[in-house]
Amino acid sequence: MRVDVVGDTLCAAVTASALAQTGHTVTWSLPEGRYWQQLRDGREAYHEPGLMPLIREQIEAGYLWCRDLATPAPTPGEVVFLALQPGERDQADILLDWIAGGEQCELLINQSVFPVGTTEELREALAQRGRTVPVICLPDTLQEGRALNDFTRPEHILLGCDDRSGEILIREILRPFNRRQDVIQVMRPREAEFAKLAISGMLATRLSFMNDMVMLAEELDVDIEVIRQGVGSDPRIGDAYLYAGCGFGGPGFSRDVMNLTDALRSRRINTELLEQVLQINERQKEVLFRKFWRHYEGDVANKKVALWGAAFKPGSDRVDNGPALRLIEALWAQGVEVHVHDPLALPELTQWADGRGPLYTHQDGYHAARDVDALMIVTEWKEYWSPDWAMLKNKMSTPLILDGRNIYDPRYVKHQGFTYYGIGRS
Amino acid sequence: MALPLMDTLMARRAEKALRDDAYRSGRVHIADLFAQDARRFERLSLSACGLLADFSKQRIAAGTLEKLRTLAEARGLDDWIRCLFDGGEVNWTESRPAMHWRLRECKKNAPEVHEQLTLMEHIVNRVHSGQWRGCQGDAITDVVNIGVGGSDLGPLMASVALHEHHPETGGRPRLHFVSSMDGSQIAPLLDELNPGTTLVVISSKSFTTMDTLSNAATTRAWLERAFPEVNGALLRCHFIGVSACSERMTEWGIHQENQLRLWDWVGGRYSLWSCIGLPIALAIGMDQFREFLAGAHDMDQHFRSAPWDENVPVSLGLVDIWNLNFLNITARAVLPYDGRLKHLPAYVEQLEMESNGKSVTRSGEAVKHHTCPVIWGEVGPNAQHAFYQLLHQGTQPVACEFLVAARHGRRNGNSAALEPLEDQHGLTVANCLAQSRLLAFGEAALTPDQSLPPFMHYRGNQPSTTLMMDELSPRQLGALLALYEHKVFVQAVMWGINPFDQWGVEMGKRIAMEMIDVLNTGGGINELDGSSRALARYVRERQQN
Repeated sequence: MRVDVVGDTLCAAVTASALAQTGHTVTWSLPEGRYWQQLRDGREAYHEPGLMPLIREQIEAGYLWCRDLATPAPTPGEVVFLALQPGERDQADILLDWIAGGEQCELLINQSVFPVGTTEELREALAQRGRTVPVICLPDTLQEGRALNDFTRPEHILLGCDDRSGEILIREILRPFNRRQDVIQVMRPREAEFAKLAISGMLATRLSFMNDMVMLAEELDVDIEVIRQGVGSDPRIGDAYLYAGCGFGGPGFSRDVMNLTDALRSRRINTELLEQVLQINERQKEVLFRKFWRHYEGDVANKKVALWGAAFKPGSDRVDNGPALRLIEALWAQGVEVHVHDPLALPELTQWADGRGPLYTHQDGYHAARDVDALMIVTEWKEYWSPDWAMLKNKMSTPLILDGRNIYDPRYVKHQGFTYYGIGRS
Repeated sequence: MALPLMDTLMARRAEKALRDDAYRSGRVHIADLFAQDARRFERLSLSACGLLADFSKQRIAAGTLEKLRTLAEARGLDDWIRCLFDGGEVNWTESRPAMHWRLRECKKNAPEVHEQLTLMEHIVNRVHSGQWRGCQGDAITDVVNIGVGGSDLGPLMASVALHEHHPETGGRPRLHFVSSMDGSQIAPLLDELNPGTTLVVISSKSFTTMDTLSNAATTRAWLERAFPEVNGALLRCHFIGVSACSERMTEWGIHQENQLRLWDWVGGRYSLWSCIGLPIALAIGMDQFREFLAGAHDMDQHFRSAPWDENVPVSLGLVDIWNLNFLNITARAVLPYDGRLKHLPAYVEQLEMESNGKSVTRSGEAVKHHTCPVIWGEVGPNAQHAFYQLLHQGTQPVACEFLVAARHGRRNGNSAALEPLEDQHGLTVANCLAQSRLLAFGEAALTPDQSLPPFMHYRGNQPSTTLMMDELSPRQLGALLALYEHKVFVQAVMWGINPFDQWGVEMGKRIAMEMIDVLNTGGGINELDGSSRALARYVRERQQN
């Protein structure tokens, strides 16, 4: 089948390459921007396990064709996937002209995170252009770090579809990924869009709940990690998304929650819970700064700090909305010198810091920690879990560890001669 | 600098001519004045710095203002204005200049002023960006200004007036003002506030004011109770001082970097332009605070250089002199038709009555004429339901001062949703114009053919000035307040008194200290007068039970 995928989101990349792998001829059109440039120049556009090799393999095999969205495109294929960035709603309307102009398109699938109701709007807009094409919604529920796996071996698929012929066609396309058992749940497009946002809202609520419990744990001298295991062992709750830490971020997750609160707010619905969830998270992004501030009784000007990790989660090169940014701004504002190590996210971080403040980046974590008054763990990259403690202590000016992800054993670290603060543990 | 004596032959002649005018005007109604001159408004209104001042509803005849200017000339007003702006010793009882105008000057002319403004800007930006941290590392959400008199009224009035002007970037804290010495303001506030996110500004020119220091001590104890384990960070993270006395701030515990300075040459009631205005800057941001200063500077320039027949502060001052000293109208009402100016009457009351409520001249003699009238005020539309009855049908003549903005000015938010609010502003302006009209003309001039029973009669002829802003912006408010400052000075010159001291409030502070002893110990109670002795006994008896 001839398939078009439009957009430069991770979802677009995964969809394009996974469909190419199953034998479709996929044309992947990307808007101008860093992803298109990196892809064209043969660089690593996406730091997602297994994704770039698959893309290259499919291009070589002749199943996947990448092109610039700006150059005049040929007529669309039988199926078109829209996986645009949330800010590209206008682009979707431009694409409708292109779709309406061709004869072949039989199905339009919206994967972009747009406001609830957009999929139905697109269908009506196409009808106004004189084309009746089924428009359905396949929300992007991929998690960074395991996106390819999520797409090819999904545990559930939300499908927003109220058109019989559209459903037959999408089921055919998803057949290779839906073999073991049927995991597709069909609902109305707006319900699928809403469900996707509600999932993010629920997960965020769990995280903020645990971060709220942290304050009490610290007050009562109990270890939140023990509490987490206890709570997670209850089958009604489960153990996912219960980690206390220095806040969630990322391009997708926190934005979804903000979308949801905006949607509620614009309809004048009181969103106390979600507002609090976001507020707790914003507070939590500064938790390492507060511990650092308290440790030095506010006398922090001209001190030096190292951050291990800046990506919003391990495996990603993205820093958007992540705790590192808030943390660095707070440190800068107090005249603290900031050194950072991160295996992937330094280019993004450097770009963000440009014009904001002086940032010292390091390719080597121990190098970053040289002569610092505190080391802050912001992202739980695997390489940070078991450092050479003796060397680390040697490098640091003051052996102070602020563990924003609770990856160390407090007793062990203290025994190595460090002052240790975790999140919600004594 | 030798300033001219006031009681010259020229002065006496001018005064005589004015007395004659006043005598004649006793038999002329404001309505007649308008009937005689179709161009009265054009002749008797001025504009400067975005403000329109309409004096045409005053009881002044065609030549009256000219004669008042002649009197001012004879009193040496010209030299006094020059002396003020030259930094001469206009505050002779305390042997110092009064240079509040210097707080509005450019960096080149007033480097020390701008040095402090830069320090203040640093603080303001830190608070707005959420990077001023409490001792636990939290961003500040609330700022409490502790001050009294000039350290309270001006900052409170202006930050409320300009509250709709948000800083360009960042979020502003909630502002709270505490002045009363009895703790009645601070106590409920401390119940509400989170000590970890509260920043306290202690504002006192001398840093010895009892009212302020007692509230400051209560706040400090509250913070120390909240964070007993914190040492140095508490004072460094939670207290800012604004004072002319750096040593006393240090002694109290204000961290060196948290000290903002002002100078002996600024009077407390003239000090909102200095770092005493920190709450204003916190409300509107530093860029707009500078606009506020620029507006006042515009008015300084106008006052110094505009010829008197175009000079708004000079004219406003002289018209008020006319009402008080020639028409014997001893009360003045300040009536802002704008809820945002609700604290303006209290501010003007202090500015004028503390400045000009004096009765000894430069040569040490008692004055033979009235000085400052009794001034009071209220937001106009609310006052219409309170004391306007007296203005319209009472027996006291009262000069009124109407303040209003032609447009509401900037509001934040969606314009469609705010349309009803624009209508409300229109309604308010209409009321303002209607009231000055009715006060001036009475019902007879407005509905000539109706005869009403006596109790429904409006006699009219109550004089008023209308001060109209284009809109209530930082710049125009700055100009308006400087206008008040300068007209106070004009009047002081006419009366021969010093507007920059306040000896009348000093003695009370001292004997209050003695009275504390009397109440606590009963010592010295027999030396008191009969009334005070009895009252002190009465209190002591009830406090012991």
